[in-house]
Amino acid sequence: MAAATDIQTVNIIVNGIELAVPKGELVVEAVKRLGLEIPIFCYHPRLKPVGMCRMCLVETGMKNPQDGTIRMMPKPAAACTLPVSEGLVINTESDALKKDRKGVLEFLLINHPLDCPICDRGGECPLQNNTLFYGPATSRFIEQKRHNVKAYPLSDYVTLDLERCIQCARCIRFTEEISGDSQLAFRFRGNKTHPITFNETKFTSKFSGNVIEICPVGALTNRKYRFRARPWDLQTSEAVCLNCSNGCNIWFDHRAGKVVRINARTNEAINEEWTCDKGKFGHDYYNDEKRLETPFARTGDELQKADYATVYAKLLEAFHGDNTGMILGDSLSNETYITAQNFFTGQLGSHNIDYRFSANQAKGASTVDNSIASLELAKTTLVFGTHLADDLPIVFLRVRKGWFNQGTQVILATDRSDEVSEFAAHTLVYKPGTEATIAKAFAGQVSVADAAAKCGISEPELQAAITAAAGATVITTTSLNHEAAEVLKALDGNFNAYPTGANERGAQLALACDGLSALEQLKKAANGELSALWVVGVDLFSVGLPREEVIRALENVDFLAVQDSRRTETFYYASVALPMTLPAEQDGSYTNCEGTTQQMKAIIPPVGQAKPAWRVFEELSIRVNPRMPFSQASEILASAPAFA
Amino acid sequence: MSELIQLGSHNERPMPPKADELNLRFSEQAIKELEGLKTHYPNLKACILPGLWIAQREYGGFLDGDAIAEVAHRLSRSYAEVQGVATFYSMYNTVHNPGKHKIEVCTCLSCHFNSAYRIRDYVSKKLGIKNGETTADGMFMLEEVECLNACDRAPVVQVGDRYFGPVDEKSIDALLEELRASEESTVVKMADQIVQVQLKAEERVGTIR
Ligand code: SF4
Ligand code: FES
Ligand code: FES
Repeated sequence: MAAATDIQTVNIIVNGIELAVPKGELVVEAVKRLGLEIPIFCYHPRLKPVGMCRMCLVETGMKNPQDGTIRMMPKPAAACTLPVSEGLVINTESDALKKDRKGVLEFLLINHPLDCPICDRGGECPLQNNTLFYGPATSRFIEQKRHNVKAYPLSDYVTLDLERCIQCARCIRFTEEISGDSQLAFRFRGNKTHPITFNETKFTSKFSGNVIEICPVGALTNRKYRFRARPWDLQTSEAVCLNCSNGCNIWFDHRAGKVVRINARTNEAINEEWTCDKGKFGHDYYNDEKRLETPFARTGDELQKADYATVYAKLLEAFHGDNTGMILGDSLSNETYITAQNFFTGQLGSHNIDYRFSANQAKGASTVDNSIASLELAKTTLVFGTHLADDLPIVFLRVRKGWFNQGTQVILATDRSDEVSEFAAHTLVYKPGTEATIAKAFAGQVSVADAAAKCGISEPELQAAITAAAGATVITTTSLNHEAAEVLKALDGNFNAYPTGANERGAQLALACDGLSALEQLKKAANGELSALWVVGVDLFSVGLPREEVIRALENVDFLAVQDSRRTETFYYASVALPMTLPAEQDGSYTNCEGTTQQMKAIIPPVGQAKPAWRVFEELSIRVNPRMPFSQASEILASAPAFA
Repeated sequence: MSELIQLGSHNERPMPPKADELNLRFSEQAIKELEGLKTHYPNLKACILPGLWIAQREYGGFLDGDAIAEVAHRLSRSYAEVQGVATFYSMYNTVHNPGKHKIEVCTCLSCHFNSAYRIRDYVSKKLGIKNGETTADGMFMLEEVECLNACDRAPVVQVGDRYFGPVDEKSIDALLEELRASEESTVVKMADQIVQVQLKAEERVGTIR
């Protein structure tokens, strides 16, 4: 533990116990080393301390280094803004402190409406908890309370109740320090102080959901979850968000088999304790009324409910050889990819099994040198051809954190300015389609003057950015123009082409991809050259291809099998269809953009007769070639060397 | 307080304005002054207060959303932050348009003993406005304020950067007449003076009023 010895420590005394803690640590953190907890409201370990609520009062004093006598200060101090120093003496419990805390809470509650029975936060509210443990049992306040706006729709996701707000500024500091959009601020002063957006405009942050979780009262609540359950009615389970490739760890709160809300679960290596709004509010598809519940088979023009046996028979009849293809979505479990590959190539003999809809994805680099957490330590970062806050929200937060905490120099090159330009040292907005040229300019393969002219950037700007980007860690996605990707990959610094599909990384690892890509399969199908096509877990109409092309492909293939969790548009073209479970309804593992494989357990029961896709492949596979099938997801993963 | 936020039952809030949607109104002079002021501070955040004074002058004494947005834009700060700063200080007019002249009647202790309320009621009746309101012609606004630190002259009235006191009905009549006759808005004039005071001599573009 070489690193540990580098840390300078100081000796302090907490409640009569001597201990050494790192110099400069805040008292509120230092006492946790003894398992003590100081009540807090405004302090948040990931935000800068502001000392606004005064809940964290402690008694402080100094030990005289000469004679060892202790002299206490006459007044208490806020533990959240006080760094430890040599000889500091802290008392966290005393009669005086009890009174102080009571006093602070009494003041906080003067203007608080105490409407806990109708408050969503009731039952998991720090204000309730602190009041219970440290507050007065009754109120002496008989005057009229301050009245203010209630149930104010701040955005599509967040409701603001100003009467409940205790002015801790956590939400404001979050938008300033973490998400960086600075859309919230305190307006007015004194008892009129309230957090709100500029001119009450919409709170458009892409990370707005986090303020709900860090608000220590019920002032900010979740519009989607509002009045749908009380916290004690919910069951909660560990899960992983599969709405994008970052793989945030989440708490999956469910009630009677239905998901009701998503909260962030701390994982320091990935999402710390944040989520993006896509993840936090985007799990409606579990309760979609279009969920597919039974197998379907086509008779004439109509899709009719069928049983698995009928559909299996038809599938095995239609699929064999290289004249058939399988297209997989990029958010399926690793087990699905592994078994699909084994079954489709091993048993049915077709190599056309793929997930890639863009030529860039197929040809470009898929190297990933950096873990998400390590991005925060990069000296210089070149964000190329991606809108990070949309494509890789958690990577965005890390890059921003690096800039905010230790001054990472960020260079952005994209086709429009976005959230990253707010803090980037250089922003290059190039004409769409000129990625390769500008990448070559970074590599010195074309002259700066030529590139600047072609990409519509001023020459000095481009030159400055190129100079600054020497040795930079490159961040891009797998859908970047493949020429540009090759060039950037060859540069000096680390190169990261993060996949954006939720389990695209798993698909990369598990699938051989030695046949036709998904895009090529569709082209072939459109020409009537494919006898059967199997589409698993993806709606072909939502992958960004022109509609007519997709329709032509679906109409010209003789046999179309669709395996999905809901009745997508593709479903209506199917010859047979199979219902599929969603991640929280099955065991499975998923590999996020940095390559971490995370397990998910079945949390809620499957809908109707839906089965995990891997189970379907296994059941079919033993019909072709009898053997002992895999019965558990974990066995499948263990069987695949790519995931060892 | 609810008047501070227009509560709408609709769920769709207007979007915050984009940079190219802003209606920028700073004059040449104001832009130059702001450039000068920026050099006084280590960062642009520190320049918000002087920037707001320039805006208060440029926008005729009232810092509405456009004015706030312009300052934020020119200083690369967020709209919300600048609005937060502006609303914190009572000398920035962020809630009501103050009209041409803001009559600030001190109602704190010493003035109170010396019939500040009588003066307030007199002005109120004469102009037909209550505390925090502006006359229909946009000429006067009446505001009760806390101690103006001129208790020796109680009751005190402040208009722009000038103090009047002790005042009585007669002197109030005369004061209102004088203000009505004057061309210039005392609200704008005070904003201008505060801007000028902060500028270095070589940075001054306009003439001191
Ligand atoms: S809304 Fe919540 S988080 Fe924001 S200042 Fe008020 S109490 Fe704090
Ligand atoms: S937690 Fe220390 S003042 Fe709020
Ligand atoms: S009380 Fe009016 S000036 Fe002091």
